Amino acid sequence: MTTLIMPSNHNSIKTRFTYRFARSLKKLNKNRPASQSMKETYRRYHMIRVASYASMASAVGPKRAWSRAVLWKIRNRTLHRTLMKKSRIHALRTRKVSGNPNDLRKLVPGGEGMDFSRLLNETAHYIKCLRTQVQIMKNIVDHCSN
Amino acid sequence: MEPKVEATELQYRSGICGHKPGSIGFGFDDIRGLISTPPPPPPETGSSFTALLELPSPQAVELLVNSPEAADEEFAAKHNIAHFAPPEIYLSNIALIDHASKFSALASADNSTENYSMPTVSCSKKLDVVKQEQMDSDSKPNGSSPAVSDQKLKSSKRKETEKKVKESNKKSKRVVPNEASEDGGEKLPYVHVRARRGQATDGHSLAERARREKINARMKLLQELVPGCNKISGTAMVLDEIINHVQSLQSQVEFLSMKLAAVTPRFDFNPDALLAAESGSPNDSSYPGIFTPSIWPEGQINGNRQQNQQLWHLDGLHQPVWGGEENNSNFITPENSLLSYDTSGNSGAASLRSSR
Repeated sequence: MTTLIMPSNHNSIKTRFTYRFARSLKKLNKNRPASQSMKETYRRYHMIRVASYASMASAVGPKRAWSRAVLWKIRNRTLHRTLMKKSRIHALRTRKVSGNPNDLRKLVPGGEGMDFSRLLNETAHYIKCLRTQVQIMKNIVDHCSN
Repeated sequence: MEPKVEATELQYRSGICGHKPGSIGFGFDDIRGLISTPPPPPPETGSSFTALLELPSPQAVELLVNSPEAADEEFAAKHNIAHFAPPEIYLSNIALIDHASKFSALASADNSTENYSMPTVSCSKKLDVVKQEQMDSDSKPNGSSPAVSDQKLKSSKRKETEKKVKESNKKSKRVVPNEASEDGGEKLPYVHVRARRGQATDGHSLAERARREKINARMKLLQELVPGCNKISGTAMVLDEIINHVQSLQSQVEFLSMKLAAVTPRFDFNPDALLAAESGSPNDSSYPGIFTPSIWPEGQINGNRQQNQQLWHLDGLHQPVWGGEENNSNFITPENSLLSYDTSGNSGAASLRSSR
């Protein structure tokens, strides 16, 4: 029934992210009782989202500016929890406005203090990692919802 | 351009290293003596490269190599590179008189080969400062000389032909980086910029152009990443597309995490089974094929390997179906294992992904 299959790349970002995210999800679900209230789900949603970004950033490692920025933000998050929530909601509402380079700087974590060419570099890597993240989370959801 | 420069430098080094150090030091002093005396006038005979070589060869070669027969360009080409090099050193010194810093470096050139690399490079570049009008005759030395010197000639010829309408400012900017970059494999402190015909060559424009070329290269990379950006022309629109793409990806993450939050309380979350299901076929999925070899060169962590190997077992692959919830993008229903999903473009352009 259980066969050993080796993935082609043991240490790709994908496997690292998957592992970390799975671990954090397990931890999250262990601590929380299975309550169906909206509030609980909302809180859980926040924690899962933070967990996914954190696991992706830690899977990437400190080599990238955006991953460092994400990890730094999360570490300082605990100090300003309520503030972050409010600003997050506000950002959700007003995010779809477009208009060039400053927006890209706001989107990519850590993009404020970079020159443009480096920003483009980080954006490329960030897009790749985001895609992986989305893909794996989709897989997880599908796997869980069977 | 750089491999050619390296080739010349290597040849030069091999040639120079073959000689005794003492003779070379002696040669430099005498070259400086040559410089103090008024240099012979540039030959009026058709301004050939061979004439260029023949010019100082009797004097310099005698001094350096102590051989009486180095008067012919072909002969010098047949022999060691050292025969070849001295005239170039001589010429470079003439040109280098203007540049005090480089000249001091040349003066302090002992027996270390690193310093020898500099005069070659600078001289091969400075050759056209001295003789800019001798481009047409390059075919002759290229046809007649054998491979070793041919390479050197070709490299200098190419540098000459590339700089048909150049000013010396640009060369000064380029020589400096070459000095630092000649020691095989060292990191370039500067970007090599080539001024084309009719373009400004002062320092600011060069730096600006280098920066613009960097940015354009990276924009091209991003265009390939973001689906549907290839057809769009113009930086602003591409940037808009990129921003939209990033925003849609981020909103997808949020949506998925919301879904996870809704789903997981019912499900006793088991990371082992999850990872097992993901082992599937990482080879045929498009994403790992694209991402893992080229993009993430992160170092190998051996500690993770053990744990991963234990967890990677198949636990009954199923065919999950993506339920049609509200989305802002198209999710193609997967036909394979979990890792081999194929998401279409978030802006609706599925061509790029599905074609792979």
